[in-house]
Amino acid sequence: MTSNQGIHTQSLCPICLSKIEANMYEEGENTYMHKECSEHGKFKTVVWRGEGIKEWIRTKERAYIKNPITELKMGCPYDCGLCSSHRQHTCTALIEVTSRCNLNCRFCFADAIESKNEDPSLENIQLQFERILKVSGKCNIQLSGGEPTLRDDLVDIVAMATTFGFPFIQVNTNGIRFANDEVYVKALKNAGLKSIFLQFDGTDDKIYKQLRGKALLELKKKAIENCHKHGIGVVLVPTLVPKINVYNIGDIIRFGMDYSPTVRGVHFQPVSYFGRIPNEPKDEDRITLPEVMDYINKQTNDMVSLTSMQPPGCENSLCSFNGNYLIEGDILKPITKRSCCSSDVKKAEVGANKAKAFVSRNWSYQKLIEQEKLSDWDKILDALQNNTFSLSAMAFQDAWNVNLERIKDCCIHVSTPNGNLIPFCMYNLTNQEGRSLYRDSMVTSR
Amino acid sequence: MKDELNITNKWICDKCQESLVLEKVKVRYLEGNFEVELLKCPTCKMVYINDDLALGKMLEVEKGLEDK
Repeated sequence: MTSNQGIHTQSLCPICLSKIEANMYEEGENTYMHKECSEHGKFKTVVWRGEGIKEWIRTKERAYIKNPITELKMGCPYDCGLCSSHRQHTCTALIEVTSRCNLNCRFCFADAIESKNEDPSLENIQLQFERILKVSGKCNIQLSGGEPTLRDDLVDIVAMATTFGFPFIQVNTNGIRFANDEVYVKALKNAGLKSIFLQFDGTDDKIYKQLRGKALLELKKKAIENCHKHGIGVVLVPTLVPKINVYNIGDIIRFGMDYSPTVRGVHFQPVSYFGRIPNEPKDEDRITLPEVMDYINKQTNDMVSLTSMQPPGCENSLCSFNGNYLIEGDILKPITKRSCCSSDVKKAEVGANKAKAFVSRNWSYQKLIEQEKLSDWDKILDALQNNTFSLSAMAFQDAWNVNLERIKDCCIHVSTPNGNLIPFCMYNLTNQEGRSLYRDSMVTSR
Repeated sequence: MKDELNITNKWICDKCQESLVLEKVKVRYLEGNFEVELLKCPTCKMVYINDDLALGKMLEVEKGLEDK
């Protein structure tokens, strides 16, 4: 709801996770979320640094879930599973196949290194695939963790997803095993792996040492080369942290273009704050979506225009942006253009279907066919398949900036061992002491 | 290409009564610009696109260009 009072929504208390009213007000060029818990006091967090938040928001005709799993008892966000008040279908279902990891990162959704949980069994994963298929149909699948490649039977899991008929299967990885074990990479490809979401924080080892504890750039390059050899698409996924790697945004994009068509694009993730945090994160520890767009524009010397980056058609407008480009020489030529008016009401279901198709088409990699054998139209299709490059970002929510309107519109759902689907940010969100509403309660039923 | 030339001879522009010829035509959809060979009237420049192309390859290209 928008008024001169600001944008009204509901949020959570970062201390007790009670549902509280929240308002987003523009102050100067920036927009802040204000909220107050009757027990724990007032909170104010920056959510948008830059003008035009109201112009950015797209109105959508909601797409309620046809087969809700959980009953509506306490209201959003306490009945996730999904419940009947959820307003968007699953675009990507994510399964955490392990909580073990071979890195000890400063920023991690999963708190993986400390985990002593057992990996879900193949039987349990099969049940999860069956449930996803029943509730969400043939959506895109992301296998995540922890570090999924610590499982030798990841190949069997990918093969299982392929057998179920899921069209796009992606692994979320730090790339270490993709760099060191080519036999494994080949087996994943043969099992049906289309793409990897490669943790890639920068083009300078200084960044990896700060964020991941060691130099990793050479390993990342090797992982990309092995994906190239075996026809697996790569999406570079930098976690953007103020004062650490924001300066490197332009170089990350140029690095990705150099490795195109294997690298299909860059997907930025501004840092969010989960797990046990001694002090409330400060506004200076955050980078918001309009700032990411601004840095992309400036650090590519205007090659990537601001208007080529647009709000999403699938998830809530405040969750992400995306732009699609054709690589011509060393230039990115935009295919997308931000619409000048936001008055059209778009159907959320249509947005979800387009997003699924886009991800499947643009984040996969098919080896090039000889150009002479192609008709003009086939050449264009080949260029769209192999010369396109996408730039996007997704702003995850934490207990300080969570907006329940965004949670209800979420299309990325974490599948749990007991067969529920939880909106991604709700699954990962913790209070200041590291307590979660959903992640912790999922451990028992493996 | 031989078949396409045969097709060329079969189509005549109704308005100008000229035989259509295969020519490179500029095509634009969203922000994408491409050149493709299409049947075109040499006088009024009207282009002919048959059902198979409109609902086949051309539709595939449109979908490929459409945003998320």
